[in-house]
Amino acid sequence: MLHGNETLKWFNKSGDTITELQFHLYLNAFRNHKSTFMKESGGVSRGNKIDKDGWGFIEVNKITLTSGDDLTGGMEFIQPDDGNPDDKTVFRLPLPQPLKPNDSIIVHIDFTGKLPQPPFARTGAKKEYFFVAQWFPKIGVYIDGKWNCHQFHANSEFFADYGVYNVRMTVPEKNILGATGLEVEKKNNGDGTATHFYHAEDVHDFAWTTSPEFIEFKDNTQDVDIRVLMQPDHADQGPRHVEAAKAAVEYFQNWYGDYPFPNLTVVDPRRGAGGSGGMEYPTLITAGTSYGMPEGLRAVELVIIHEFGHNFWYHLLASNEFEESWMDEGINTYTEIQIMNDKYGPIGDAINLLGIKINDLQFQRGQYAFFPDFDPIMRKAWEFYGGNSYGANSYAKPGVLLTTLQNHLGREKMQQAMRTYVERWRFKHPKSRDFFNVINEVAGEDLNWFFDQAFYSNAILDYSVDRVFSREIKKVEGYDFTLSVARPDSGMTNGTSHSGDSIAAKGKPKMYESGVDVRRLGAFKFPVEIVATFEGGEKVREKWDGQDFWKKIRYTKPNKLVSATVDPDNKIPLDLNYTNNSKAVEGSSLGVNKLSVRWLFWMQFLLDQPEFMNLFSAINF
Amino acid sequence: MILHSLKSGFAQVRANKRMVAVFYLANLCFGLLLLLPLRSILKSFAGNSQMAAKLGGPLDMDFLIEFFKYTDGVVPAFMGLILIVPAANWLFTLLLSGGAFATFAGGEKYNAAFFWGNSAKYFGRFVRLTLWSLPVFAVLFCLQYLETGVQRLIFGSDPYQNLTYWGGWIKIGLRQIGFLLFAMILDYARIHAVLTDERKMRTSLLQGLKFVFGNFLYTFGLALLLLLVGAVALVIYNPIANSLAAPNALIVIMLFVWQQVYMVFRTLLRLTTYASQLDLYHQRAGEPAPAAITSTGEQPMEGLAPAA
Repeated sequence: MLHGNETLKWFNKSGDTITELQFHLYLNAFRNHKSTFMKESGGVSRGNKIDKDGWGFIEVNKITLTSGDDLTGGMEFIQPDDGNPDDKTVFRLPLPQPLKPNDSIIVHIDFTGKLPQPPFARTGAKKEYFFVAQWFPKIGVYIDGKWNCHQFHANSEFFADYGVYNVRMTVPEKNILGATGLEVEKKNNGDGTATHFYHAEDVHDFAWTTSPEFIEFKDNTQDVDIRVLMQPDHADQGPRHVEAAKAAVEYFQNWYGDYPFPNLTVVDPRRGAGGSGGMEYPTLITAGTSYGMPEGLRAVELVIIHEFGHNFWYHLLASNEFEESWMDEGINTYTEIQIMNDKYGPIGDAINLLGIKINDLQFQRGQYAFFPDFDPIMRKAWEFYGGNSYGANSYAKPGVLLTTLQNHLGREKMQQAMRTYVERWRFKHPKSRDFFNVINEVAGEDLNWFFDQAFYSNAILDYSVDRVFSREIKKVEGYDFTLSVARPDSGMTNGTSHSGDSIAAKGKPKMYESGVDVRRLGAFKFPVEIVATFEGGEKVREKWDGQDFWKKIRYTKPNKLVSATVDPDNKIPLDLNYTNNSKAVEGSSLGVNKLSVRWLFWMQFLLDQPEFMNLFSAINF
Repeated sequence: MILHSLKSGFAQVRANKRMVAVFYLANLCFGLLLLLPLRSILKSFAGNSQMAAKLGGPLDMDFLIEFFKYTDGVVPAFMGLILIVPAANWLFTLLLSGGAFATFAGGEKYNAAFFWGNSAKYFGRFVRLTLWSLPVFAVLFCLQYLETGVQRLIFGSDPYQNLTYWGGWIKIGLRQIGFLLFAMILDYARIHAVLTDERKMRTSLLQGLKFVFGNFLYTFGLALLLLLVGAVALVIYNPIANSLAAPNALIVIMLFVWQQVYMVFRTLLRLTTYASQLDLYHQRAGEPAPAAITSTGEQPMEGLAPAA
């Protein structure tokens, strides 16, 4: 159980007179099966479930003003998103006196909470390990003339305003504690408990963790103190976590701008507490590993780079994840793809193990490929078709399409645009159009044709080489119009034709007519390059704006066409199907045969298991 | 004794190259049965694309994603095939094992009529034997859960991951030992059935169990030795196969040949196991010469006693 006293001083920085406050009570999402979160998720979040007796909740015991006025009776649960009367994750608090612009109010809240067990949807407890997030009554954001205080949804993270947090946490004395911000003081209470006092400025949330089993690793890079809290059974991976965190800090600062906080804490969740893994809070992130994680499986690095990235997009810029989830998760996936590739690439940046090499971009492209058009990216998080569509549109597709945009603009320009975006919008809650405007400005061109298709429609991008051919030009058959006019005595007679003159006269080299027909199979229009390769290695590069449904290119050359490829440099990962991007005039079965031979072996091997053990192998397969 | 059995077994297999060919070709045919539909799907999907040419190199993740995405209707059908073909393959090798044990038991050279006649003769019995052996398999399969029990007993229900990690490997080891023991029991039960012309398969199963555990050092030692030889062969095979990766016709042919060399070796090893186990059975159980091993069940073979 959590017992808390919160003192909130809230400034009315809007131009409106405020008559009520609105608060989140996130832990009530885990109160029972009737909450909106539980109804939407079916009780499962990232594969985790709450134990039978592990439900969590939060109760506001009392709300008073400094004047002593008790406002508790005025509390009213509201459900602005779905009207579910059983959802108690948001409440409104009418104020006895309206709050004028630039005035402030101090509210005292006494509350009791219980964390879900095991950790579920990023918060909770497992035996001696606690990851305490979304744990206190949290003020909503008053923006655009109204409260923006959404219910807690299964497919959504958060939106909050900046503030200064002073938090005192009393835990068993032997416990190690990590939290948002910096530890100012630790006081032993003499009763087996200790109170840790943390202070954090310009943050929009506060989370903390404690466990007696944490093993600490510390380091520093670019004036950022790094602290890693490892579980004892993962302690051997402490240095690996530290290195990944250092790389994340360095890449982000070098590429995207200053990280204006003095420290970063990385938490390794306890076994059985995976529900708290892979999550971000200001200056505090969680990773997730398991004993024996091979070096070539870069899950640790990927998660740490991803979660630290949130400290830019979710924290420093703090877009509204309820309404524009891509602005955090999507931009973050894009930056993660770039950093992973630069640091561990160019091939096998995510997995480089036992000869298997897979890039992060390929994973993201794969995730997007299976759910490319269920929704446009621009949707409220809980309005997506389902969890997969939310995932594809919030994470993978924006990551892939921003990589496509980077390839279109050039890496330098894209990095410059991202840096400008960070500098201009830090601490200001930018919206999608703000991002697009910065890109347009730095790119020096209007890219709204791209953004409109990519973010506001579900259009698919798929180019295909439909047909290639190459044939020798032999001789003209039928009437030669020019010759018949110029030379009436050329041998033509009414009703008959001569065999025609050979264009390739004797002794002259053969000529070939070759053709490449390219089609745009999806509605997404994007400029693309086409390469035609001829015998002798000659390559002819063409550009197509992709506006029409197809493009036919014809060549007359002394060499035969060998093949044609659309997007030959794979600059458009947004293209859903790479396989149809190329075609050879004369196909080779070599690749198919090679793969077939490999498959044949594994099948023979599988079949060769003694007795009916091959059936087990088949089932495992 | 183990080495003697091994030598004797190998000599018998060397004298029966045609039988090796039968076993190997059966494996190859069933493998092709699985492969050909998949190759056809692959060929029709990749077509004349550059991606198809790239398949000669390391496997491309983008291609794999697209293959599964755009052939998703075909993959479930293939998954059905991947259950049916191994089942058919198992029944067929069960059939062949009758001919193999009978040939080795009779000290014969491969003779098609003898081999296939005995294959047919024992097939029904071996199927019944397999059905009788299912409870034994269940018990041996549960051997792996010893690790779970011991771990829970010593470390409770919430052990550290390093314990569950290494425990996991021990569990895999125990499972493999269980599989190995089961294969051994079935082999010796079949040997008993062939040598004594036993028709009650529960009797043969019991004799197989008794023999395996009554002569455990020898039976397990022999099986383990053969298993190790197989493991060493795999260790040699793998890096060479992996190095044959260039998208080049000659390399593809070399890869195919190398793979089939390895598969022939596995077949040799399997038949050596049969023959060596039979030799060990003779040595340890002191069984008389086979009671009745005939090609069709009607005509006694030369040098063998007629059926009682």
